[in-house]
Amino acid sequence: MALASAVQNAAARLIVDNVADRKPQLVFQSVSLSFGATEILRDIDLTIGEGEFVCVVGPSGCGKTTLLRLIAGLLKATGGAVAYRGQVHDRPSSDIAVVFQDYANALLPWRTAEGNVSLALEAARKPRRERPARIAELLRKVGLETHAKRFPTEMSGGMQQRLQIARCLAQEPSMLLMDEPFGALDAMTRQKLQDEILAIVSQSNVTTFFVTHDLEEAIYLGDRVVALAPHPGRIAKIFDVSIPRPRDQLTTRETPEFLHLRHKLFTFIREAEA
Amino acid sequence: MTADKRAASVAASVAVLLLIIAGWQAVASKGLISPVFLPGPDRIYAAIVKGVERGDLVAQTGETIRRMILGWALASVMGVAIGAVIGVSEAARVWVAPMLEFVRPLPASAIAPVAVVIFGLTDRMVLFLIAFGALWPMLLTTIHGFSNVHPRLREVSRTLALGELAYVFKIALPAATPDILGGLRLGLTVALILTVVGEMITVQGGLGARILLGARSFRSADLFAGVALLGAIGLVSNGLLGLAESRAFRWKPR
Amino acid sequence: MTRLRGLALPLALVLMWQIGAATFGVQSDTLSKPSDIAFALVAGLGDGSLLGASVRTLAAAGGGLLIGAALGVLFGLAFGLLPPLSRLMRVTVETLRPIPAVAILPIALLAFGFGYRMEIAIVAFACFFPMMILTEHAIGQIAPRLMEVARVLRLTVAQRVAKIVVPASLPRIFVALRLAAGIALIVAVTVEVTANPMGLGYRLMTAAQSLRPADMFATLIWVGFIGWALNRALLAVEARLFAHAPEA
Repeated sequence: MALASAVQNAAARLIVDNVADRKPQLVFQSVSLSFGATEILRDIDLTIGEGEFVCVVGPSGCGKTTLLRLIAGLLKATGGAVAYRGQVHDRPSSDIAVVFQDYANALLPWRTAEGNVSLALEAARKPRRERPARIAELLRKVGLETHAKRFPTEMSGGMQQRLQIARCLAQEPSMLLMDEPFGALDAMTRQKLQDEILAIVSQSNVTTFFVTHDLEEAIYLGDRVVALAPHPGRIAKIFDVSIPRPRDQLTTRETPEFLHLRHKLFTFIREAEA
Repeated sequence: MTADKRAASVAASVAVLLLIIAGWQAVASKGLISPVFLPGPDRIYAAIVKGVERGDLVAQTGETIRRMILGWALASVMGVAIGAVIGVSEAARVWVAPMLEFVRPLPASAIAPVAVVIFGLTDRMVLFLIAFGALWPMLLTTIHGFSNVHPRLREVSRTLALGELAYVFKIALPAATPDILGGLRLGLTVALILTVVGEMITVQGGLGARILLGARSFRSADLFAGVALLGAIGLVSNGLLGLAESRAFRWKPR
Repeated sequence: MTRLRGLALPLALVLMWQIGAATFGVQSDTLSKPSDIAFALVAGLGDGSLLGASVRTLAAAGGGLLIGAALGVLFGLAFGLLPPLSRLMRVTVETLRPIPAVAILPIALLAFGFGYRMEIAIVAFACFFPMMILTEHAIGQIAPRLMEVARVLRLTVAQRVAKIVVPASLPRIFVALRLAAGIALIVAVTVEVTANPMGLGYRLMTAAQSLRPADMFATLIWVGFIGWALNRALLAVEARLFAHAPEA
């Protein structure tokens, strides 16, 4: 018994340690962003390594969505530099996929589930013959294979969000950006999708940047949690999540490490808001 | 309402219409209103039959329909094409769109005199009038459709690296289609009206000319027959487009 | 700033037209210089002819609007309050509605001859159906909660109509009226262009047929202006009267 848990601990530490040795993929160097006179982000210094799962939390107005849109290339920094794989990054890149919070607006209502996934393959100019197989595989991965011919308006919120994820995976991204993707869903669906994301991400080793206002979700999912302070948005603190993987909704959330981190994070946010 | 109840309701409604026609017939037969002003349904029906036998009614109806469809089709192609270009481009909307607002309050029929000046009292004048008049609602609704594509879809297009042309055809166009179809329907209504106006002004064939001449020579049965046919054209063309619209939008939440 | 940019292109086009026409001496019986059009507009306003024609057109449009809207609201109220009645009349309405108002022109001509009555009748026909349908729709849109309140308070039918139905649907009915006013003006001008020898439409046609294009274009611009001004005025009244109304 003791030997088994010792081996488990050692293995966990190995996994955790690997996080620190990851190759940097995305680098923010003193990045700031202003819209006219309003400063949205100030002096963001952040390095995200390959395969990392980084969660970003903070009160409203702290600029976490803006940060995500900077990585997506939908916004340009007004100060500092954003580098992706060593190159200057100021526009969208087809291997960075974005899952938007308002899934209904991000899907094409006139196309079926298959059609929506196909859009990404069409954009990537994948040969026509290969598409049906790839689409079927992706829909299976997110559990929508029986709904392939359904329209988004005929699906529940959770299903629509899964469809968006499937389309993002069709891009074969090396980086996945998720903007409060489960915010509009009910608690049970949220938990299910959290686990599904963890499974998908661990399979493909894609780097994930996850914005959420749910502190527990951030700890449950992430390797690191970045806490932003508002007005203007800046990095207040970065927490390392040294909880071993794979994680489980019931047991992980009861472990001392989780509760300890939760306590630290909650206190930090509360003090920051004061 | 269940299907049975709905069928019964429609049947009752049709019965009401038939009752009204019967009442009208009774009034006309008794001679309560001079047949010069309000002919009975029997005389109108006789006029239609005579017109069909002679062949002129069919020819005139065909001419009206031909003009209406041709003018409308011309306006549709131009309206959608130009509307797409303007609607998609932010720059075009700022520079060009306000100019269109000047034309909007103008009654389409007010263009008729201009058309007469340019083309004289010819068939081409009528065609120009129809096309010009039907163009504006289609242009404006198309621009509206293309410029109101949800910004999120634009962003999705950029993150997928879709390319401008692919964006227009795969995303903007389908998104704008409800508005475009609505515009086409409106354009068809305008086209019918302007066909009649044009035919009345040029008096060169078609149902419009027929009914105006019918009024001038007090042949009221002919006149009413023509009006009935025009109403039928309006009903059928609108119905067909409505059918196309509902077919195209089975994905829309009802 | 963006407002001015919108004017830039049309102003540039007008300028080019003026310079082009002046330099090349374009034939003056089909087109005319912007300066000529401007003069014609000023002259028409100055000698009262443009205003006189406007008054006649607006009078006919107004008269037709009044009759058509009054009847439309009445029928719309009846249909809205008594859905079974509406269902019974559905086919009859749908048969008459697609008839274009201009098609009624010869009938009105037969009955009334040229002049005001004929134009008013046609405008009334054109305004009737939209007003009726929109009024019926407005009544259907009244929050069911209000109708429940009426039942709970045990209001009589007359009280219900006067105190709840009419005030609640008034904002939407006014929007319908604004739409119908636009239709009234358009139909009035159409009737004048096609047959009736009075008003702005007639002025347009005579200018065209007597080869006075400057006058024709000037009248055209004036007609557009009237339509715009009418809509603006009604919007202002709407905002004034219904500032308190909850958003549709």
